[in-house]
Amino acid sequence: MVTPRFDELIHARTRLSIVALLGAADWAEFRFIRESLGISDSVLSKQLTLLENAGYVKIRKAFVGKRPRTWVKLSPTGRVAFEGHVRKLQEIALQGGTSLARDDGTTITADPPGPPERSTASSPGGDARA
Amino acid sequence: MTNAMKPAEARKALAEMERRQDQVIEGTLVPNWYWWAVALLSVGLGVGVDTRDPTATAVAAGIFAVGVSVLTVWIAFGGRRHVKVHQRLLGSRGAGLIVGFVWLVVGGTLGLAYVLEAANVEYAATLSTLACAIALVVGGPALMRRLRGIMRRQAGGG
Repeated sequence: MVTPRFDELIHARTRLSIVALLGAADWAEFRFIRESLGISDSVLSKQLTLLENAGYVKIRKAFVGKRPRTWVKLSPTGRVAFEGHVRKLQEIALQGGTSLARDDGTTITADPPGPPERSTASSPGGDARA
Repeated sequence: MTNAMKPAEARKALAEMERRQDQVIEGTLVPNWYWWAVALLSVGLGVGVDTRDPTATAVAAGIFAVGVSVLTVWIAFGGRRHVKVHQRLLGSRGAGLIVGFVWLVVGGTLGLAYVLEAANVEYAATLSTLACAIALVVGGPALMRRLRGIMRRQAGGG
């Protein structure tokens, strides 16, 4: 069981999309990620470098025929971080707000449980779709 | 340093994750045209066999073998192969469904062909490959829908 843990590196919008995409894949081609997210080469390269430096992704480059190809996959560390982040988001969505302990010791203030919103979003495959 | 993570924001992030996971799943599924193409090749093979002409049978068998091989290799490793779904998503149930479907279609087609042939039904090969074609065109997309559901549930499980 993965421990719920908010990961700020992953939570940034573009990186969240990249990591979520890689989370469902064994590997993905650079081109597939770029086209799926509708972002430029440079933006994707920059984000992948950040994730690679954090040890979250592994990047492999090779030539297929005369074409350079780049494959990206989540590292075991990245997968654990991603799954922990998903669990934390699920907790927040379920509980209607929560406090988050950050790596630097600071705290993210909890949202008081307000009027019940949709409280059944238990997974990305559940009500979160709506 | 403080910040607030609202439930709505968490749900939005989860929805975004699900959307991206769907893109991987959709990129992995076999498109409908593949089933139609294999179905047509199968019927062509049946018609070729029913001519009782060795040359026509050999040509039909060759076209079927090459056609199915090229299509399948292209689907599995070729132009569409830009992403590989994580094996956890498909799982043993998904793999079992795929193997079961293939065995059912191949076994059913051969079995029907032998039964019709034994009963001296005319055009036994054509009729059995027609049944195979219907199974592919109806069952193929149904199998993909089932696999999509399995993979989505697995992805949702984190």
